[in-house]
Amino acid sequence: MLCGLTAGAWLGAAEAPTKLVTLGLSPVVISLSMVIGVFLARWTLPALIQGTSYVAADLRQAPHLIVWAVLAGCLWAVANTLTIFAVRDVGLSIAFPLWNSNSLLGIFWGILFFQELRGADWRRWVGVLGGAALMFAGATALAIASAAQVPARDAVRGVAAALAAGVLWGTMYIPYRKAYLTGMSPLSFITFFTVGELGMMTALAVTYSGGVSPLWSQLSGARHVLFWLLAGGFVWVVGDLFQQYAVKYAGITRGIPLSNTNQLWGLLWGILVFGELRGASHSVLAQVIGGSIVMAVGAGVIALSSVSGSEHARWQKAAASEGERYGVDPEYTRSRIAGKDASSIVRGRTWIDWLVVSVATATIVGFALMARAPQLAVAWGWAAGLVIVTLAMLAAAGVRLWRATRFN
Amino acid sequence: MSDNRREQRSGSWLGLVLRDVQFWVPVAVLAAGLLVLRWIS
Repeated sequence: MLCGLTAGAWLGAAEAPTKLVTLGLSPVVISLSMVIGVFLARWTLPALIQGTSYVAADLRQAPHLIVWAVLAGCLWAVANTLTIFAVRDVGLSIAFPLWNSNSLLGIFWGILFFQELRGADWRRWVGVLGGAALMFAGATALAIASAAQVPARDAVRGVAAALAAGVLWGTMYIPYRKAYLTGMSPLSFITFFTVGELGMMTALAVTYSGGVSPLWSQLSGARHVLFWLLAGGFVWVVGDLFQQYAVKYAGITRGIPLSNTNQLWGLLWGILVFGELRGASHSVLAQVIGGSIVMAVGAGVIALSSVSGSEHARWQKAAASEGERYGVDPEYTRSRIAGKDASSIVRGRTWIDWLVVSVATATIVGFALMARAPQLAVAWGWAAGLVIVTLAMLAAAGVRLWRATRFN
Repeated sequence: MSDNRREQRSGSWLGLVLRDVQFWVPVAVLAAGLLVLRWIS
């Protein structure tokens, strides 16, 4: 649960740089820059925490997961680009809860494909379905509020973009669940996930910018703010990593709703730091804040409906079936689902790990040296307060996770 | 499952992925997402 809540804080903070879209930057340039930050983080963190040799050993056990990881990365890249269009058209505080409807779809796929909720008692079903109904009600309130804030055409496009991003992210949990039922470490999975992510995003950016040269000139023109976007991508990876641990150890139906508290953080960043909804009527404010809180309560209801022993047995059955389908060593799956190392895997860092970390750090420092504060109206006091709380959550969850699982 | 059978399966993991019906759900959603992106951009 601590992992899920920490994921919420970091995933919420990561969306703050998307506000740069209001300066006139192209959404695909913003998304590509964030994905480059994500790429750097997704190779750096596994290299630092476990070493690339650990990742390679993991993939030898389940090579089919490379395809699933790349596919998940493609889904992420398209969804992230859609969110930037949504932020442009309806704002962060309205778009965020709408794309968080992904948890409902994640639950649906969990029930349909992975035997989640099978064997659950009626109280858990009521908790999950009641929570889903609350989330739907909250989303409806936000959609109505967005219609009052912006021209009808923008509202329709923005709401459609946010909901489509939710569908893509909700479906992304199919590959995630495949990986964790097999026992693969989240750190190993994201290393290949990011290859699909960067490949898809590069293709989108080149296509929508009109070619490589126009894209390059847009990136050059935006070089003073690229650091903030890279940093957004890096922060997103930290949040996503905690979300993946939450999904691995608590299941989709609990892990994702917990991490979807990110919408409350998005609301705080949008209203307190960027001054969104300033001048809005009381009824619109009530709809936005009320809708977001109702959605978060719905997520909480789902998350707090406890998983029964019979449900755990169903998960193990689904894991066994997955291992049988792809020919994965059952001992590997059993030990990794229990949060232990399989006997054949040895941890250790090599010069390759230090090279990866050095190149990534040098790239980020290079962009930081070019960076200038963006010309956005920002309440820096509130921003500092939110950053401090977010870092404190990282420290608390990181220490607990290390003690319990050694980041397996 | 015997080790031999497991080795045979490991050798054709790409075919196993393509024959897995669950694989085509995210593929279809990805295609739909690209269409939505084209519409709103």
